[in-house]
Amino acid sequence: MDSHIIKLHKVNFYYGQTQALTDISMNFGQNRVTALIGPSGCGKSTLLRLLNRMNDLIDGTKVEGEILFEGRNIYAPNIDPVEIRRKVGMVFQKPNPFPKTIYNNISYGPKLTGVTVADMDSLVEQSLRQAVLWDEVKDILNKSAMNLSGGQQQRLCIARALAMKPDVLLMDEPTSALDPISTAKIEELIEELKKDYTIIIVTHNMQQAARISDETAFFYLGNLVEYNKTEKIFTNPDVKQTEDYITGRFG
Amino acid sequence: MTRRIKEIIIKYIFFLFALVSVIVLGLIVSSLFREGLPVFKSVSLKDFIFGMEWYPTYDPPSFGIFPLIFGSFIVTVFATVIAVPLGVLAAIYISEIAPQAIKESLKSVIELLAGLPSVVLGFFGMVIVAPWLQETFDLPTGLNIINASVILAIMAIPTISSISEDALYAVPNEFKEASYALGATKYETITKIILPAALSGISTAVMLGMARAIGETMVVLMVAGGAAAIPESIFDSVRPMPASIAAEMGETPYGSPHYHALFAIGMVLFFLTLMFNLIADYASHKFRQTGSATL
Repeated sequence: MDSHIIKLHKVNFYYGQTQALTDISMNFGQNRVTALIGPSGCGKSTLLRLLNRMNDLIDGTKVEGEILFEGRNIYAPNIDPVEIRRKVGMVFQKPNPFPKTIYNNISYGPKLTGVTVADMDSLVEQSLRQAVLWDEVKDILNKSAMNLSGGQQQRLCIARALAMKPDVLLMDEPTSALDPISTAKIEELIEELKKDYTIIIVTHNMQQAARISDETAFFYLGNLVEYNKTEKIFTNPDVKQTEDYITGRFG
Repeated sequence: MTRRIKEIIIKYIFFLFALVSVIVLGLIVSSLFREGLPVFKSVSLKDFIFGMEWYPTYDPPSFGIFPLIFGSFIVTVFATVIAVPLGVLAAIYISEIAPQAIKESLKSVIELLAGLPSVVLGFFGMVIVAPWLQETFDLPTGLNIINASVILAIMAIPTISSISEDALYAVPNEFKEASYALGATKYETITKIILPAALSGISTAVMLGMARAIGETMVVLMVAGGAAAIPESIFDSVRPMPASIAAEMGETPYGSPHYHALFAIGMVLFFLTLMFNLIADYASHKFRQTGSATL
């Protein structure tokens, strides 16, 4: 598969004076699951948040290089970050549903687009079905999302992102706050979603990266150390440092 | 001495300190009632609260405090109408929009406003606002409802703004990030996510701001004009309850019905502020949205 939906070319990123990413060039394949792994502080979450311009919200950051999304540089001055975020959805580490009803959590994003959604009910249902949450919540759509369990909340957050019909779904350690059963459900869901979406996932759990991803990128101290097929990374990595990290010799 | 006994002694010492404010409050309230209740020997509760005439020094005196209650009510309402938008919008600007440097200086300026002695504000109302009002609108006096309301609003703004700001800060960052990640603008995130989540704190802020305004004495004494009658326009003078107490207490013979009537006004004020506090407390629970994700 050679169609790349996101391309990075010599990207540097700074928090004030501190350089967080150095000279990253990599491409993300369409309808693939790409895992970003590495020890804490290696820049993998920073990279993820660059892809939908969430780092714009932090004062004193600076981006160099090019990040092309569907052929357009998303950091070009004429690009509205709001447009990018509508096409590149995000799921966070901690489930963060709004303190609103389940229904309103899903309809929040689509309502913002200004386009009148002809049939909001069916969009809500469709999004919840995609996130495999519909059967559990169909009778309590008007209850607060805060009553759901952690795993359900996280799937709600995925459904909320899907309701925007994004092209790419960014996931920042989406299961690190969940129990093993909820984690398994989310992983199954990712497997399912990959048919329609490009998924980029940051994870601390190497077994998870091995289970769900097609490609894996290993980061260390702001550098991209190795980017390869997941199978290769976990069985026969090219770089010694990758092997040391995978086998638990450091990190 | 064993460690356990030490712990118990420490516990009771702290309990005692906590008790002091409760005891002081109890003593004040009981003396308020002891001095206030005898007025009902000379006037019925209904005539006291709803009586339209406050002529405490006439013979026979009449102790109807309705014009005073109405005076307090009207200046508090107008002050709230002015102070709530200013206070809440300032809080939103400080907590969500302003760049760091402006945020810091704006916060200290508003805190400074809270530190202004009320007599200074009253003075400002008397010598600057009142003559201006009198000239501009061609009034018999500039000491009136609108003047008092504006000055009270200035006093209530710091309370409303700083408590609202705390409420806005307390909105978890995760909500904001989620909203931005869905393609919401800053304005949409503020109005649809942050404000609803902070509503309980903001209502508490409004209630406490109103309690501050209704109990304020010096300002209303200096700029409300002091007419104990139901006003016909916002340019009329009024005599809010605290102003009556402050103005008349010095000239009242100890133990006279007038003396007891002033304490009874104090009781009314006490119940009103108590009510505001209870509503604030209720509001802070009623609109509370359960915090961020539970795991």
